[in-house]
Amino acid sequence: MIPFPLLSFIIFWPLAGGLFVLAFWRYPKAARRIALAVALVEVILVASLFSLDLHLNGTDGWLLREDFSWIPQYGVRYSLGLDGINLTLVSLSALLGVMSILASWKQISERVAVFHVMLLFSQTAVMGVFLATDLFLFYLFWEMQLLPMLFLIGIWGHEKRIYAALKFFLFNIAGGLLMLAALIGIYLVHGRQTGDYTFALSHLMQAKPAPMLEMWLYSAFLLAFAIKIPIFPLHGWLPDAHTEAPTAGSIILAGLLLKTGAYALLRIAIPLFPVASHRFMPLLLILGLVGIVYASLVALGQKDMKRLVAYSSIGHMGLIVLALAVWDSLTLSGAVLQMVNHGLTTAALFMMVGMLDERFHTRTLADFGGLWKSMPRFSAFFLLFAMASLGLPGLNNFVSEFLILVGVFRAHPLVGSLAFCSIVFTLIYVLKLVQDTLAGPIKHQHCRDISPRELAILLTLSLLVIGIGLCPQPILTLLQDPVQRLIDQTGAMPLPGTNLMPAK
Amino acid sequence: MQTEWFSLLPLIILATGGSVIFCLGAFLRRQESTALLFGLAVVTCLASGGSAVSFRNLPGQLSGLLAIDVFSSFYTVLFATITLITLLLSYQYAKNRGFFGDEFLGIILFAAAGMVLIAASIHWLPFFLGLEMVSISLYVLIAMRRGDSLAIEAAVKYFTMGAVASAFVVFGIAMLYGATGTLDIMKSLDVGGHVDNRFLLLFGLCLILVGLCFKISLVPFHLWTPDVYQGAPAPITAFLATGTKVALLSMFVRLAVYGGDSVGAVFAPAVWIMAALTMVVGNITALAQTQIKRLLAYSSIAQMGYMMMALLAFKHQGPAAVIFYSVVYAFTDLGAFGTVGLLSPNNSDRDAIADYKGLGYAQPAKAALLTLCVFSLAGLPTTAGFIGKFVLFRAALDANFIGLAMIGILMAILSLYFYLNIVVVLYMRPAEKTTALKTTGNEAILACFLIATIIFSLGLFPSFTLTVIEQIVDHISNP
Repeated sequence: MIPFPLLSFIIFWPLAGGLFVLAFWRYPKAARRIALAVALVEVILVASLFSLDLHLNGTDGWLLREDFSWIPQYGVRYSLGLDGINLTLVSLSALLGVMSILASWKQISERVAVFHVMLLFSQTAVMGVFLATDLFLFYLFWEMQLLPMLFLIGIWGHEKRIYAALKFFLFNIAGGLLMLAALIGIYLVHGRQTGDYTFALSHLMQAKPAPMLEMWLYSAFLLAFAIKIPIFPLHGWLPDAHTEAPTAGSIILAGLLLKTGAYALLRIAIPLFPVASHRFMPLLLILGLVGIVYASLVALGQKDMKRLVAYSSIGHMGLIVLALAVWDSLTLSGAVLQMVNHGLTTAALFMMVGMLDERFHTRTLADFGGLWKSMPRFSAFFLLFAMASLGLPGLNNFVSEFLILVGVFRAHPLVGSLAFCSIVFTLIYVLKLVQDTLAGPIKHQHCRDISPRELAILLTLSLLVIGIGLCPQPILTLLQDPVQRLIDQTGAMPLPGTNLMPAK
Repeated sequence: MQTEWFSLLPLIILATGGSVIFCLGAFLRRQESTALLFGLAVVTCLASGGSAVSFRNLPGQLSGLLAIDVFSSFYTVLFATITLITLLLSYQYAKNRGFFGDEFLGIILFAAAGMVLIAASIHWLPFFLGLEMVSISLYVLIAMRRGDSLAIEAAVKYFTMGAVASAFVVFGIAMLYGATGTLDIMKSLDVGGHVDNRFLLLFGLCLILVGLCFKISLVPFHLWTPDVYQGAPAPITAFLATGTKVALLSMFVRLAVYGGDSVGAVFAPAVWIMAALTMVVGNITALAQTQIKRLLAYSSIAQMGYMMMALLAFKHQGPAAVIFYSVVYAFTDLGAFGTVGLLSPNNSDRDAIADYKGLGYAQPAKAALLTLCVFSLAGLPTTAGFIGKFVLFRAALDANFIGLAMIGILMAILSLYFYLNIVVVLYMRPAEKTTALKTTGNEAILACFLIATIIFSLGLFPSFTLTVIEQIVDHISNP
């Protein structure tokens, strides 16, 4: 008797639902409602995961596991695994899936059914990336993420959409294909060493490639993931993609796709190549730091609100990169939590910029002002999410940023201090954003404040933002065991200067 | 004795079917007989493929000329399917353009018989016979649209190039015979056994390879390809690009397996350079194309480069990889050229890529298939092309051709730009003018459905096909 394949169901439910939605391409309203229903069912499915015994630490540390033979000739298996880390991210994905559909309720009026199909497809791909434990399967989902987003930006985007869509796709696929080569490389190395040709992550971690080869393989993986995160200076595609994407596209992109990059670095690249990744750590530290400062400075100069939020994303992801580079239990928990928090706040900010865009058909900062008086409820939420984004204590980002900064400071005091100072820049551009939009003279007289639909979205997100801010412990508890396991697998990263190779 | 002739049945069926259609065509009136002849041709393909499946395990060796075994049966089924899909795709296309008739069907079947002959030969003579059967049939098929000067030009070009290539092949075969005294393919490749005539042997083989490289259009022997592919009617281009190349690739596989190390060591550097050149030139030139058939032509050249890369890994899993990818390539390119034909207005082919603007919405199903095929050519996951590329690169990396694989990967990245451009035009650029197309016939819809099914099933569940291919490679490696 095979137990009910809940994980597969979670992955493929949006895909199946999407195909069903496609049947309603003549009826946009129905398609929209069905898509929402599909996404809501997905949330319920994911919520049912929390009924598992979350402290159960099975033989190999997975809460739930599925494993079937798929292409035996090449040792490819269809295997999925759930633990605390991907459980949090899967929950985020399910939630943002609903949000993205709600956010485009009024914005998208052309080819509605196909639009929602693309949203649901990308949800399937992202879920797959988070849950796959076979690297071949992982790669499949990894590349599959790109296609729906290509269409989302390219068909429903703004003026320069085709340029942005192609740039997004080519940047990411370039990294992806190089990673494929490296993936085959590590697979062959492991196969030759043990005679067991397999793509299972847990097996491949045992492979011991020659040091030089390991550096090359790791570089390829790092490149692919760094483009997706994106780590400075590989971020070139992101501002364009965000600026041109429809709101829902931005939510998926910032909320989920970027997270897959960080997640993959955490789950795959570093554990797979501990020695090489240790050598690369200084580089990651520097790039993460530069990323925070650079992104904040550039964000300060933006005139387009969406571009500003996009650059802020790069900064926040830079903090995650720092956290991964330090690689201890504090920063790793912080990093995963930061992924969730950044997903929530950035999605909220993108959504609110989208709301303004829907009302005034502009996103230029200079066109706004005095919203506090004309749209008080909107402004209250906007202020809340802006404050969350700059890390106000009591709100969600504070917790994760604090964890990361403390962890980084403990390992590398200098880097920690610099990172701390760079947060000040974040403060400046967020305050500028708030000041330019909410304060000042009223630029638009008659404008609708938020509708019940928008209220529902914002209320949900703000409850989470405050909830995680005040009581992050349940999530941290969830992350504790799997994070510890990751660290045990790779060996603790020794501090710089102590010339110890991590014990494996 | 009885079983031997029996095992030839797939070939006999194809040849008889072709001849019967010719004869019937002489007696029946053209307007009334199209459906009947078409049906007959379809049945012929099905019967040939079916008989090949049922006789695959007969130990058929025909006086040292042909080997009817799992290898040839596999290819027979493949060619029967390719021919069947070509027939389905071209029925309406050819009827609308007035060149559908007995000669069209008969010649396609003869070409298919020639392909089967190539895949089954273990002797240079039937191989050359098969090669000529395919080539001559295709000269005629390309020129089928007699009023079209582009098609005539293409046919003449293909003929000239083909004749030169054939001359090379036949001259090479003569040299091989002179060096080894046998026309048996395996024995004639035995370099170790003919040390005295080593140079003559290798020179003969070199000439044969030049001829074959012309036919599968490796750089620098590729210059005819874009012109011919562009000039020929789209479904015929599909047949030409897939059938011929797959048949000759089967010969490459056979040569690589039979030749082994002693031959491989001599030719590996040349093949390395040609593979690299083909990937680079094919993909880079494709970037500059504004016409879809030329673009697909360069893309098909590039695909040959990837396969040559894997062929170098003949000691590892190269042959299996090449066979698998040639299956993938066959159906993908059939789909790509086929949909170009289906999307074309009645007088000519829709060739300029700019004319595909907005077709994604005007012709959603066909555009979706074209997109699927383009994604498969680009090697994106869940399509057959992805598994194919994976298998090829795995073989090349396994055999330590890391530099070549890197060139391949970089070119694959580059190629995404022009593949995506097709998708961008289909879906993201608004249509300027809409031209009404005739409704597509059911047979073409069936063909599209078949192609889509094959591309997805090879992309998601390649296991069965891989097993079969492993068996047949095993079979020819250990006769």
